[in-house]
Amino acid sequence: MSASAPAAAPVVPPARLFTLAVLLALVAAVYVHTAGIDVTMGRFWVLGLGFGVVLQRTRLCFASAFRDVLLLGHARNLKGILVGMAVATVGFSALMTRQVPNTALGILPPEAHVLPIGLHTVVGALLFGFGMVIAGGCVSGSIYRMGEGYVASWVAFAGILGGLTAAAYTWNAWYDLAIAGAPQVWLPSLMGHGAAVVLTLILLGGLFLLASWWEHKNGMDLPEPAGRIAGAATFRGKVANGLKRVFVHGWPVLIGGALLGGLNVIAFMTARPWGFTGEVSRWGLTFMTSLGAGPGELAGVGSIPGCVLDPGSGEFLNPMLLLVTGMFAGSLFAAIAAGEFKIRIPKKQSRFVQSVAGGLIMGYGSGTAVGCTIGAFFSSVPSLGLNGWVWAVCLLAGAWLGTHALKRLP
Amino acid sequence: MSKPLDVRGEICPYPMMQTAQALKALAPSEHVLEVLTDHPPALDTIPAQAERLGFSARIEEAGASEWRLTLTRNDG
Repeated sequence: MSASAPAAAPVVPPARLFTLAVLLALVAAVYVHTAGIDVTMGRFWVLGLGFGVVLQRTRLCFASAFRDVLLLGHARNLKGILVGMAVATVGFSALMTRQVPNTALGILPPEAHVLPIGLHTVVGALLFGFGMVIAGGCVSGSIYRMGEGYVASWVAFAGILGGLTAAAYTWNAWYDLAIAGAPQVWLPSLMGHGAAVVLTLILLGGLFLLASWWEHKNGMDLPEPAGRIAGAATFRGKVANGLKRVFVHGWPVLIGGALLGGLNVIAFMTARPWGFTGEVSRWGLTFMTSLGAGPGELAGVGSIPGCVLDPGSGEFLNPMLLLVTGMFAGSLFAAIAAGEFKIRIPKKQSRFVQSVAGGLIMGYGSGTAVGCTIGAFFSSVPSLGLNGWVWAVCLLAGAWLGTHALKRLP
Repeated sequence: MSKPLDVRGEICPYPMMQTAQALKALAPSEHVLEVLTDHPPALDTIPAQAERLGFSARIEEAGASEWRLTLTRNDG
């Protein structure tokens, strides 16, 4: 059947091109409207779109990064994430060196994700790791798959929203138990900027080697997606192949990881690093408060950076809202362009239960541990906070438990 | 003999897991597994997994956002 495919078929079908044009017009309208209110909002909309496009094109899923090392024996996504964090480490460091030139003063760069480390980090990351494997995606993964049309990801996101909202009602207990007395460890204040960057890059590089060795040992060296494209004899064919590499086939994951790292540096330069869960918690808490059933005062949230729970006192339209929704729109756009958008409905009813339960566990974990795989890890390691590494170790343990549970589920 | 496996609609990572299980469960008389999927990441991971289990993979589009992976046992 495939042999009879006409060589002169248009690269993109006209109906798809029309949908993309409408979407692009909407995206532009949102930009013009929001940038007119606040420049940062417009910029975060564009950054969100960028994150969404890159995630969709590279299929860079943080849940699979941790899970697949254990489950399938390949480290494709993990390697992309390590490269992204290395890029962000250099960029964040340049910025933080300007913000806090003298590290001996005990001042922390205000927007860097240097978070308190305590029992809440351990429990939250364990829960998050377990939940993301059960749900089939972490917070960022669920958002970009929502854009691809995965109905189960919408269900998982509803769970995440519920879990984050629930975390607010136990926040004060966690605060008294662990968070209030927990240290915020910023590596540059222990060893200076240079040594902290070098140490982080050595750790990331060492992990990259370890991941490559693990893949080799398991015989799971995945070919890059572009390897699937057959050569073309004509110039037109070559141009079509070039377009396919960008718009249809997945991008090489290391390039995608580096782009995500670069976008994160731009986000930090613009206002603050990449993260979701504070913003998503705001949607749930604003709703509960409007019902008169809000969680009340959340202790200490004003003095904790990153994706801490946000009770939602300010304007509803803000930069973080545009970052999160922009990511969805970016993924939707990229998925339609690639012909990968499809409403996908699991045949097994149990997958919906699995998705919502995984989402709830993940949401509660990220509300308690102050962030998800993005805010508490991808933005924390480059912030040179020790918390990013603690989170990663506990997340891996949670993912390991989740993988075992997954194998037992029908 | 070719055996079909429809993993459309499944969430991550079941398309990969179910394919690996099906490949391991193929009878000696069966040489080909035809996997129908709508999960793009599986296009990268299934061929690598299949290769590890002694199968080679061919990918073709099988409709809008759907692909057919033909996994053929290398010795047959």
